[in-house]
This record gives sequence, structure tokens and C-alpha cells, in this order.
Amino acid sequence: MIPLALEFDWGVVLDNREEWIEGLENTLKVSAIAIAGSFVVGLILGAARAHRVPVISQLAAVYVEVIRNTPLLVQVFFIFFGLPQLDIRLEPFTAAWVSVLIWGGAFNTENFRAGFQAVPFRYREAGFALGFSRLATFFNVTLPIGGRIALPSSINTYVSVLKNTAILGPAIGFAELTNTAYNLESILFQPLEIYTVLALTYLAIVWLISIGIRLIESRLRLPEEAR
Amino acid sequence: MSLLAFEVPEWYRQALDYILTEGLPGTLIIAGESVAASAIVGVLLGTLMTIHFLPLRGLIRLYIEIWRGLPIIVTIFLIFFALPALDIRFSAFQAAAIGLSLWGSAQVAEATRGAVESIPREQHEASAALGFGWTGRHVYVIVPQALRRLLPPMVSLLVNVLQNSTLAALIGALELLESGKRQVERLAAPPPVGDGEIHALPIYGTLLLLFFLISFPLTRLAAYLERRLV
Repeated sequence: MIPLALEFDWGVVLDNREEWIEGLENTLKVSAIAIAGSFVVGLILGAARAHRVPVISQLAAVYVEVIRNTPLLVQVFFIFFGLPQLDIRLEPFTAAWVSVLIWGGAFNTENFRAGFQAVPFRYREAGFALGFSRLATFFNVTLPIGGRIALPSSINTYVSVLKNTAILGPAIGFAELTNTAYNLESILFQPLEIYTVLALTYLAIVWLISIGIRLIESRLRLPEEAR
Repeated sequence: MSLLAFEVPEWYRQALDYILTEGLPGTLIIAGESVAASAIVGVLLGTLMTIHFLPLRGLIRLYIEIWRGLPIIVTIFLIFFALPALDIRFSAFQAAAIGLSLWGSAQVAEATRGAVESIPREQHEASAALGFGWTGRHVYVIVPQALRRLLPPMVSLLVNVLQNSTLAALIGALELLESGKRQVERLAAPPPVGDGEIHALPIYGTLLLLFFLISFPLTRLAAYLERRLV
């Protein structure tokens, strides 16, 4: 073996691959639930904001501003440690996906609002002229066009949701990837190897998603944007 | 101490006092240092990125993709827990500030590249005609114009860094969240240390309110600058 100033002992990671895989699964599970949820929340509240649906629109605006102007970590602490005082007790897993879902939903509401508002009014007028109801116009005109305008920014939000799950483990002891690394390190005392692998795992996931996104984006791009 | 007819309990006054005198300065210092470092490193890297020299571009691109791709907490853990294995040691406070700066500088670099490239070619030609070299052209003509366009994203960055500075609490650095956490733990202890009761809800609620009061005006300012300057 070539003598190196720095010797990595990768066995530390391979010997514990079951823990790693479980952590990865938990990260992906929480992310998937939160991403799906924030898509639905963003779609509905974004539409309500863009079309100024009374009451819902104002409440959604407050929701968005509160979530965007406070740290996610404090929200997590509030939900997991604060709410039990009101007898609302959540399991770490539930608290984990609920808090990132609420966070992602707020950002997605903004993404979809901007997307729907970018649809020119004359398109919707054309829908009304064809005898479509307001709802039918939304589903057949505003959603297909505005949804695609909102796509890039909403995908950024989904990537952020996935990355933000990393704070849940250290904060509330939910066994996702980062917490798995943290716990392994506290038994094995090999921080360099463990955290390097942790970082590489996140980079692999985030970079793979980014490449995938570019492919999807080029497929779904609006015809008039294509050059 | 009374506020109108509402009596503020003694434990709350003590907790708030600690949060404002011990926690708030920590948050402001971490955020201030990180934003300053991000701005300096980010503008430099972003400007260098507009040079058509592939290896340099590639290296800066890699820097951006790594620090933007990693969750900030993972970067902070790398610095705080992994680097000591190489005999590089930082305090929790420093580790958090460095982690935030790496992330922030990647954001600023990307924004700067866009801003510098958006300056019309005529500006480059005119300043070159006046005899400026690459450095002079950028220092005196191009970057100052780009900075104007960078103002809104810089204010947004400040908001993001302020909020993400709470991650420092996960490695025990004393900032707003950590100060709140310590007060919740102290108050839960039996007297004379605390009062043996859980006060998590009002204390974390207060932290949410504090962050909102700091961030909301800044978010509005960023939106206003966006409309005014672009």
C-alpha cells in the first residue's frame, strides 16, 4: 500500500451499510411525502392567490409570509417541542414531514402564484369566449401554461425540501441520513470518512436530480420559449 | 412588570432578557460575518467566472455546485466534526460562520456572473478604448454597474443567512435558537434553577416572532429594490 499522509478507512462505511441505507430511505421517504404535499398545497393556494379568491387568498398570504420570514429550524422546534404544550404530540417521523411540508408548501404557493399570474389575461378571455366556466378555464388554460412557467422555480423548492430534511435528524432525532452519520460517528470516532461519505451522498442525489430536472424542463418547455 | 392590563410573568421576563442579550448578538454576528465574507468571495469568483478560460471556469463552477448542492448543516458538520481529524479546529461559532459563507459565496458568485454578463458589451469596449486593462475595466466600470443589480439578491441573501444561522444551535453555538433552547431547559429544571415547568411554546413562539420582525422588513426591502433597480 502506498503510504499516504492521510489514510481513509472506508470499511467504516461499508461495515455499516444497512444503517446508511435505512437513513437514506428515511430521507427519501420524508422528502417524497413533503414534496407531494407541497405540490398540492402550492397548487391550491397558488391558484387562490393568483385569482384573488376572497379570504383564502389573504390567509394564504399570511401563511407564506410567516413561513418565509422565519427559520425552518425554529418552526421544527415549535412544532416538535412547543406544540405538546397544547397536547398536540407528534412522532419524530410525523413532525419531520409535517414541518418540511408546511415549509415547502409556502414557497410553492409563491412559485405557482407567479406562474399563474404570468398567463396573459387574453388566454383566459379566449377560454371564457369558448364557453368554459372559470374552473374549466383554470384547468384547461391557466394550469397547463402557468404550471409550466412555475415548473423551474417549484423544482428548486423540491430540491430545497430534500436538502432541508438534513436538519430534522439533528434537531428532533429522526433517523434520516445526517442523523445516521452523526450517530455512527459517535460510536466509531471516524468523522472524516463518515462525513465525507455523507457529503458525497447528498451531492450525488442533488446532482442527479438537477440533471433529471434539465431533461424534464426541456421536454415540458412552452413552445414559444423554445429557440 | 406589567404591559397594559396583562401581567408579564417573571420567568418570561428573565428568558426574554437572556435571549435578547445573549442570543440576538450571536445571530447578528454570525449573519454579519457570513454575509460580508459571502459578498467579497462571491463577487470575486463571479467576476472571474466571466473570463473565457475553461479550467478556471470549471473550478469555480465546481465550487458553486458543491457548496450549493450540500445541505448547509452537512457543510457545518464537515467543518466542525470532520476537519479536526486533520488537525484543523474551529469553534462552533466559527464553523457555522464558515459553513454559511461557503454556501452564501456560491450563491453570490452565481448571481454576480449573471449580473456581470448582463452589462452591455459597449461598456467593455468603451473602457478598453480609454486604455483600461482587464482589471481596471472590471474594477472601475463593469463591476460597479453589476453591483447595482446585485443589491436585491444581496438583501435576500442576508435574510436567508439570518435564518440559516440558527443551524449553529445544532453544534451548540450561542445564537437566538440556542439561547431559547437553553432557557426552555433551564426553566424545566426544579427551583431554584427553573420553575419545573415546560415553557417551550411561548419561548419558541417568541423566537418565531423575533425572526419575523427582523426578516419581514428586509424581504419587503428586497422586493422594493427589485422593482426600483431592475
